[in-house]
Amino acid sequence: MTTYIYGITHTGHPALPEGMGGIGDPERPVRVLRHGNLAALVSDSPEDLRPKRRDLLAHQSVLDEAGAGGPVLPMRFGSLAQDDQAVLDVLDELADHYEERLRALEGKAEYNVKAAHDEQAVLHQVLAENPELRAMAEANRAAGGGTYEQKLQLGERLTNAVQAREAGDGIEVRRALEPCAEAVSEGPEGSGWLANYSFLVRRDAADGFVAAVEELRKTQPHLDVRVNGPLPPYSFVDLGPARPAADAAQAR
Amino acid sequence: MTVVPAQQSGGSGGTSGLYDVIELILDRGLVIDAFVRVSLVGIEILKVDVRVVIASVDTYLRFAEACNRLDLESGPNKSPGLPEMVGEITESGARGKSKGALSGAAQTVSDAFKQAREESRSGDEEPAKRSRRTTSRARKEEQE
Repeated sequence: MTTYIYGITHTGHPALPEGMGGIGDPERPVRVLRHGNLAALVSDSPEDLRPKRRDLLAHQSVLDEAGAGGPVLPMRFGSLAQDDQAVLDVLDELADHYEERLRALEGKAEYNVKAAHDEQAVLHQVLAENPELRAMAEANRAAGGGTYEQKLQLGERLTNAVQAREAGDGIEVRRALEPCAEAVSEGPEGSGWLANYSFLVRRDAADGFVAAVEELRKTQPHLDVRVNGPLPPYSFVDLGPARPAADAAQAR
Repeated sequence: MTVVPAQQSGGSGGTSGLYDVIELILDRGLVIDAFVRVSLVGIEILKVDVRVVIASVDTYLRFAEACNRLDLESGPNKSPGLPEMVGEITESGARGKSKGALSGAAQTVSDAFKQAREESRSGDEEPAKRSRRTTSRARKEEQE
């Protein structure tokens, strides 16, 4: 029977979600494997496990539940061990590393922040700051929208101006929130936002972080800022001894 | 317009919460050499969600049109660039956003996840990508 691993925590954790419903249909109950000071949250795995919505949610929910009571190192979705003994072997082998990480992440959670431009607001801003573009826009409008060439010309200038703002605004998002966080990690590339950052925030400082996000929204009204948190510290567990490239190849 | 504040997109908070963090669940987190990982073939589609501006003729025309509409909405006698007007418009935009944002930031996602999970338990067997398409469609309809 393959064993699915949700995360690793320490045995002193006060509220492990033992027996909670995990992945699969029917849900496989969460079990706790203990070794020394460490505990792994696991369940049996269905043979045909696929990244379905319900399973992604189950993975996240188990970690969320455990994370509310104490530090947990979240596994990436879909980690399977041959059996329980294989999990215990890893806990034994890497105990020092995991214990260090658990101490480092005690009382902290991840907040993911994504930002995109509000198109209307950013166009207004670009026009307000650039008299030349404004004049072009006015001329086009007076001509009932302008010719195809005029539209292209105006559109290209607008696009360049908006693009130029994307990089700057991404930096601004990071700069505004970094002081309220213990660490920052850039989100996976290619997700298409002008900013996608994860911040490691002390749970007792979460109000300050949320307030900083609100302040950012006020001072940068042309940004659509989305915050998700508190989350298990996915971006701050370190990859440990694994080789990310090899793992990615394996996953494909 | 195709760039839409995502917070305005429909759907339950739980589901959009999952989509917002799905790349973290799939791309981040602890990886251990001794363990194998479930194949993620087919799930890449989840991450195709382009919100940055791409230079292309389509974008140029779209922006020119958007700009044109922007001016018309502002009234024929007003310069679209007058600072006080920009302030006015962005301020009201910010208010709308703060509302959604406040609930997003203050509410712990765990509640949302639980909710979404219960939904998925009530017989929804669809892989995540199916719901994604539904969301995109709903968003598109909203824009039209």
